[in-house]
Amino acid sequence: MHSLNWLLIIIFLPLVGGLVLSVLRFKRRLYREVFVEGVVIATSILTYVLLYRPPLGSLVLLQITDTIQFALKMDGLARVFAGLIAGLWPFATLFAFQYMTHEGKENTFFVFYTMTFGVTLGVACSANAFTLYLFYELLTLVTLPLVMHAMDAASIKAGMTYIKYSIGGAAFGFVALVFLLPNGGNEFIYGGSLPFKTLGVSKDMMLLAYIFAFFGFGVKAAVFPFQGWLPKASVAPTPVTALLHAVAVVKSGVFAVMRITYYCFGAEYLRGTWAQSVVMIAALVTILFGSIQGVREQHIKRRLAYSTISNLSYILFGVTLMTPAGLLGGILHMVFHGVIKITLFFCAGAIMFQTHKEYVSEITGFGKKMPLVFGIFTIASLSIMGVPPFNGFVSKWYLATAAMKIGTPLALIGILFLLISGLLAAIYLFNIIMPAFFPIGGFDNEGLKKVHDPNWYMLVPLLVFTIAMIGFGIKSGPLVEFVEKIVNGVI
Amino acid sequence: MFMYKGMIVLSIFVPTIAGIGVFGLKSMEKAAIRNVVVTIVLVLNGCFSILMLNAPFDACILFYLTKEIPALFQVDRLSKLFGAITAALWICCGIFSFEYTKHEIDRRRYYGYLLITLGMVNGVCFAGNLPTLYMTFEMMSVVSTPLVLHSLEEDAVKAGMKYLFYSIGGASLALFGIVYLSTVVTSNQFMAGGTLDMAAVGGHTNLFLAMIFLCILGFGVKAGMFPFHGWLPTAHPVAPAPASALLSGVIAKAGVIAIMRVIFYTTGAEIIRGTWVQMTWIILAVISIFMGSMQAYREPLFKKRLAYSTVSQISYILVGLAVLNQAGFLGALLHTVFHAVIKGTSFLCAGAIMYKTNIVRVDGLNGIGKKMPVIMWSFIFSSLAIIGIPPTSGFVSKWFLAEGALASDLSFWSGFIPIILLVSALLTAGYMLPIIIHAFFPGPDYDYKGSTSLETSGLLVVPILVLGITTVVLGMFPGPLIRFISEIGQLVQ
Repeated sequence: MHSLNWLLIIIFLPLVGGLVLSVLRFKRRLYREVFVEGVVIATSILTYVLLYRPPLGSLVLLQITDTIQFALKMDGLARVFAGLIAGLWPFATLFAFQYMTHEGKENTFFVFYTMTFGVTLGVACSANAFTLYLFYELLTLVTLPLVMHAMDAASIKAGMTYIKYSIGGAAFGFVALVFLLPNGGNEFIYGGSLPFKTLGVSKDMMLLAYIFAFFGFGVKAAVFPFQGWLPKASVAPTPVTALLHAVAVVKSGVFAVMRITYYCFGAEYLRGTWAQSVVMIAALVTILFGSIQGVREQHIKRRLAYSTISNLSYILFGVTLMTPAGLLGGILHMVFHGVIKITLFFCAGAIMFQTHKEYVSEITGFGKKMPLVFGIFTIASLSIMGVPPFNGFVSKWYLATAAMKIGTPLALIGILFLLISGLLAAIYLFNIIMPAFFPIGGFDNEGLKKVHDPNWYMLVPLLVFTIAMIGFGIKSGPLVEFVEKIVNGVI
Repeated sequence: MFMYKGMIVLSIFVPTIAGIGVFGLKSMEKAAIRNVVVTIVLVLNGCFSILMLNAPFDACILFYLTKEIPALFQVDRLSKLFGAITAALWICCGIFSFEYTKHEIDRRRYYGYLLITLGMVNGVCFAGNLPTLYMTFEMMSVVSTPLVLHSLEEDAVKAGMKYLFYSIGGASLALFGIVYLSTVVTSNQFMAGGTLDMAAVGGHTNLFLAMIFLCILGFGVKAGMFPFHGWLPTAHPVAPAPASALLSGVIAKAGVIAIMRVIFYTTGAEIIRGTWVQMTWIILAVISIFMGSMQAYREPLFKKRLAYSTVSQISYILVGLAVLNQAGFLGALLHTVFHAVIKGTSFLCAGAIMYKTNIVRVDGLNGIGKKMPVIMWSFIFSSLAIIGIPPTSGFVSKWFLAEGALASDLSFWSGFIPIILLVSALLTAGYMLPIIIHAFFPGPDYDYKGSTSLETSGLLVVPILVLGITTVVLGMFPGPLIRFISEIGQLVQ
């Protein structure tokens, strides 16, 4: 069993590594790549060691008052989220090395890209709401320069939108903390740490605090009506959109909602209340809204951003069912969608890197010259639509069966929305794939001369992710068993 | 025992991998090598299905779709039947394609997807539970789309997308029902007669019935059932003729097979007898029968007329199933077999005519009987069969369908359905016979002296002839088939 102090290492190694990078000036790109990748891989390896031999208890970093402290721990949910992040980061960094050669200011980029890794792990390992809040805000700060990287008008505007939404969300979240902390709901304990009888505050007041928490932290999870920042942030370089805005930042959002719902307030406390209905309706609206907007959007990355908005609310739908089965579906989709979405964005990034084409109508016929990229894009699309034997089907199935077991009208509408969303996803994704492989009127071989599959920096991550999608699709048992232990409160 | 498990797996993976190989291997650019490989694969598939006719019930698990639900494949009587139809039609259409696709672009892509689609259809055929059926069904829809849009002309691509989205939409509807049903069955495997756990349904009968209905509706999209038949008449005119033959003859039947798997192998037929589900199913099927025939009667484009005819004929099958009795069931499955052969013949004939003369409209077919006698004689047999005139096969299936309708205790419908069948038969005669008459008796304006035979290629003629003769033979000697299907019927009801 490893010392709790290792939790500090996995968070601070990337942070320190990033800061060091800001001071060091590497003579050659390759040296920087080795340094950054080295830090990232070391962190990932350490994280996985901790996943398999988790330290028990929590590590107190700073005691603020006698009940409030900054603390870290590695419980089941932390292990899943940290596993996702640490699993994807080394490959995403590899992709980013290649991609950013066309974007410039790579040193600054990788400073913040690497630091984000540490901060996200901090979110994962937070032992209470207070610590989570700290890392959550740090996440906004450390990702802001990445959103604004290009420093052109669109990027700066996107960054301002991002900051406004995030600070707004933080304010809401803070209000919720004000209610949670004095009433003993700070600690993350599965089933809720909030005692049922809160002193001096009515249940309705606490439920209102929950609503504030849900929407406040839910800003990062792009829940309606606070999803507006996500499509705008697509102007960021693709490695940012892919890893951060499809995985790290947005999944921190749903992760935080999971913590607040199941580990602070507790599902029992919230089940059957008006608050549950409100948040479930928000999730349902977002599921449909995101998908509909995705069909209408012609810019490839923005289309994928709307798809992300929709899929995040699949997770929130599972969470708002307030049952272990619902949380199971939500956690599975958190992991699986992360892999799928990063794949989709990286494919789009590979296309953009090679050809500078960003709109759906511009990539007709590309499938013939980039068969690997588009083939992988097709697999990821089938997965996100929920077609077996890929991983997306598994999480969607568990979400649907969890809702089916509850059987309330709202839950059934949820299943219907999931299916409609899947059909809309088929439409907006196959409208990219089909013209690429089957262009009307045949292939324009002259125009396609410069189009080809990317090099190994980009292909290896894509292939690894594809193997993961298929692997989890046909053998999801072990992961499902692990998550079952989480939702039954065992780990 | 392993032999049959192995054959199930091989019949799915051999065509699929061969299809991928057609795309990947350099040697496949040469038509000669490619045609040989395709023929070998199709014949191999045919051998598998013949060998499997003797198989005892067997199942195999390939992997797990979720923690509890396996990707299960099994061979039972229904899969033997459907597998045999698939194999036979694929061989005929494949051989026909060798000559037909000489006018097409990118023939390599055509054969690649032709083989992969065969693999996926076999997957649907052998699927052993609803989630596996969903998986193979969706994959089948995705990989068959390139066949529809093959020519890459604008109409073809649009038709292909319509086909794709209708198919996925239908499967999504059915998935809703499948998720529900997975919570109320005792076993994740198809069993004749159903595996329903009524206790698990509890009192929620309406929810239960609604979910079954969603399955019927969703899979009915593929079967061209009203109101979701729209993809059929759009897709068939633009697809290459052999692809249309397979689409109408086999792939659309996958929708029927899927509905059968839901009703007869998962929920059990009794549970919907007399309910609004059965009534609505019958109504939708009857509307399709009538509307399909009406639209065919009015349609000037040859292949589109045949497409509307398919809409109508597949709903004959659905009606036969929906009345939930032995005779109807027998008629339905007989018609599944017969219509595949009949429609295969018709579409290949249309294709051969188009290939040789570029004629696509019915009114352009004057005198074609003089130029392509063998093909048109096969077309005559298939037309007689589709109208239902003895001694062709269509007569036998429609006889049992009518018997099934009359035997059903559905008051109004037991009389009305046979009337609709009759009206539809008249309309069918109305849209098929004129073609034949004009083909062989083109009238005084026709240049009799100038007509020479256009039937040069055996590759076109032989498959059509084989199918045409089969139509008659099955009609004269339906015994073995009737016995086989009756056995299925006994098991499921």
